[in-house]
Amino acid sequence: MMRKVGIVNAAITECRGRWVEKTYWGLFQEAVRATLANAKMTGDDVDSVVWGIYNDIFEHQAIPESALTGLVAMTNKPGVRVTNGGATGFYAMRAAIAEVASGMVDVVLCAGGEKATDCFDPVSQSPTPMVINTIAYSWDPFFENPLGATANDSYMQMCLGYNDSHPGDIGDPLVRAKIVEKLCRQGNRNPYAQRRNEKVTVEQVMNSRWIIPPFLRLLEACMYTEGAGAVVFASEDKARELAERTGEPIVWVRGVGAANEAYAVGRGGYYKPLDRIVSDRLAAERAYEMAGVRPADIKIVELHDAFVAQLMITMGEMGFVPIGRTRALIDDGIMADIDELGDSKAPPDGQILVNPSGGLIFGGHFVGGSNMFSLWSARKEMIARQVPLALVHGTGAINACYGGAIVLELDERGM
Amino acid sequence: MKGKEKEMVIPRDFNLPKEVSEVRGQDGKPYLQFNTGMLTLYKQTYGELSRFFMALREARLIGSRCKTCGQVMVPAASWHCPNCNFAEMEEVALPHRGVLAATAPITFFPSASFVGQAPFCRGYVDVATEAKIASFLPCRLRTTTGIPRPGIFVKGLELKLVFEDKRQGTILDIFGVPMVEIPKELRKKEPLLASALNLKAPPVPKIKAEAALKPALASALKAMQGMAAKIKSGTRAEKDLAGRKHVIKVKTGGGEFDIKIERGKLAVNGSSPRTPAADFTMTVENPAVFSKWVAGGSLSDAVMEGELWLPNLEAFPVLYALDRLPRSIRRDQEEK
Ligand SMILES: [Zn+2]
Repeated sequence: MMRKVGIVNAAITECRGRWVEKTYWGLFQEAVRATLANAKMTGDDVDSVVWGIYNDIFEHQAIPESALTGLVAMTNKPGVRVTNGGATGFYAMRAAIAEVASGMVDVVLCAGGEKATDCFDPVSQSPTPMVINTIAYSWDPFFENPLGATANDSYMQMCLGYNDSHPGDIGDPLVRAKIVEKLCRQGNRNPYAQRRNEKVTVEQVMNSRWIIPPFLRLLEACMYTEGAGAVVFASEDKARELAERTGEPIVWVRGVGAANEAYAVGRGGYYKPLDRIVSDRLAAERAYEMAGVRPADIKIVELHDAFVAQLMITMGEMGFVPIGRTRALIDDGIMADIDELGDSKAPPDGQILVNPSGGLIFGGHFVGGSNMFSLWSARKEMIARQVPLALVHGTGAINACYGGAIVLELDERGM
Repeated sequence: MKGKEKEMVIPRDFNLPKEVSEVRGQDGKPYLQFNTGMLTLYKQTYGELSRFFMALREARLIGSRCKTCGQVMVPAASWHCPNCNFAEMEEVALPHRGVLAATAPITFFPSASFVGQAPFCRGYVDVATEAKIASFLPCRLRTTTGIPRPGIFVKGLELKLVFEDKRQGTILDIFGVPMVEIPKELRKKEPLLASALNLKAPPVPKIKAEAALKPALASALKAMQGMAAKIKSGTRAEKDLAGRKHVIKVKTGGGEFDIKIERGKLAVNGSSPRTPAADFTMTVENPAVFSKWVAGGSLSDAVMEGELWLPNLEAFPVLYALDRLPRSIRRDQEEK
């Protein structure tokens, strides 16, 4: 990286299935207000803004960020909106980090969010079919959308393809249910989590209704969330100066990696293979390389878990468990247990705390800002548990062809 | 499509009345919401893809092949190879068969535009199997053996690519059917049209009678009849069945029975000569599926797992209505 980039602060709104109390204007304003308040900053301290908003149809406005500029005290500053499917939050943060790293600006506000469940389907008299209809526009209008491809198909196809090549791994429902149960207990501790009051047992997961067999029961899938999150990135000098105001430790961006696979699937050439999530692997490898770390150095991972089975594959692609034996997360006790760690202990050697926020399954998934949600949690947990290195991951677009990863490091003065 | 009425891009009932209504927030306070839409209609050009879709209209499948690297794009998505500095690609006729590249997902919960069409299956077919580099054809997958279910469309399955009789120039003009389901004399026929296959009325699978399953059927019948007796006038359960009229024959390893739904009531009877002709038949080896249903389980889940056989997608929504019954009865009783 050209210049060192630090995270000064971050905040999110409460994650809810639907916010009738707020529009997306109100949600973004609340996230930015909380972030600046946490950092003891005002809009004047910020040089530029990067927006993460996935889908104009959800917000019901093209150029949705234009309405936000004035409402979040960013008037007359440069602003750019990023939209990259499920990985929108990651890519917005990547753009914000690049603005600081390049020396173009010193302080960037990065805000992401989504208002998804105002959508409504008149036939079923419920939002969900219209929400998935809107996401289905992520597929092309010539081939995939007319075939009825859905958002679930994206991850399900990857899981089915992986299972074809590596049977007996993600296919074990008990292993997946145990992961869900852990994520649930983690989500319970997150005061902003959408499903923080739910108690989910292994048996309930294994008996919950099917969405798509054989890997996706209702309790194994991420949610649709309304909410927003914001992060302040700053150059080294500016980060140290701003951090003085709160005394909170700086979390540094040590590495950023990204990769987008081809849209078309196929054999050989540049085509996307169906049995791996290559974008996740490349993104993580590139982030490790930039940071000069190995997966074994990382103790906290906040990853984009659309499905539990995909969480397993992604943990394999990012090098934490072997591809083909990602069930080691449970079998070998690699996934730390939050009840043993409590609020302040770091995972012991050989263990990783995966999605302490509850992830996108229990925490929340406001698409344009979901990865900000993950980064918010990773930062908080690193500071609370005195963990030096963490990884934040994002994935998105059809067949999970977009991938991103950020390696974070806790400032030594914060240790 | 009814009579001569043209099928429209936006179905008639896909709309909301223009109104502003009150909605309660989590904070207990009232807020307002307004019914609205974000509507765009298109006459969207197929542009350079037109050649591919024109071929489909003529019941031909074409790809584009790079003269330099030999890769074949299926469908012909481009006429310039991105691997070879955008070298010119040539049209290549493709065989009407392929291999399923990966186990395909089945959609049971479709997006709003596809409500009424699920369950359906969609997957990636390797057609240009001779080429070293090739993309896969995304297409619908259909079976002549009933509703799509797990275990049919698995990786490596040989597929016949079948054309609709009436083709418009859409990707739905072509679909894959397991080659083993195609009569031998038709396997090499190109094009093979949908009307040559029996896709609408699949033969009911034979279920082997097993004496050991008879007690399971007896207790399932007792459980279902007990549940039926609890569906009283004005209850939630009655509403679940309102407006529905079905006679369903059920064949199990323990014997047969009928489910009759009419005027908000459910009747379950062991087969008798007085039973009118069934709308459809479903089959399952173990009748215990129905006991589990009454205990709060799910018949649609049994379909998704492939345990309970259904002939066609028209039969599927009936099961959602049935699935609601045990829960509705429980809630009706809780209120009492
Ligand atoms: Zn070429």
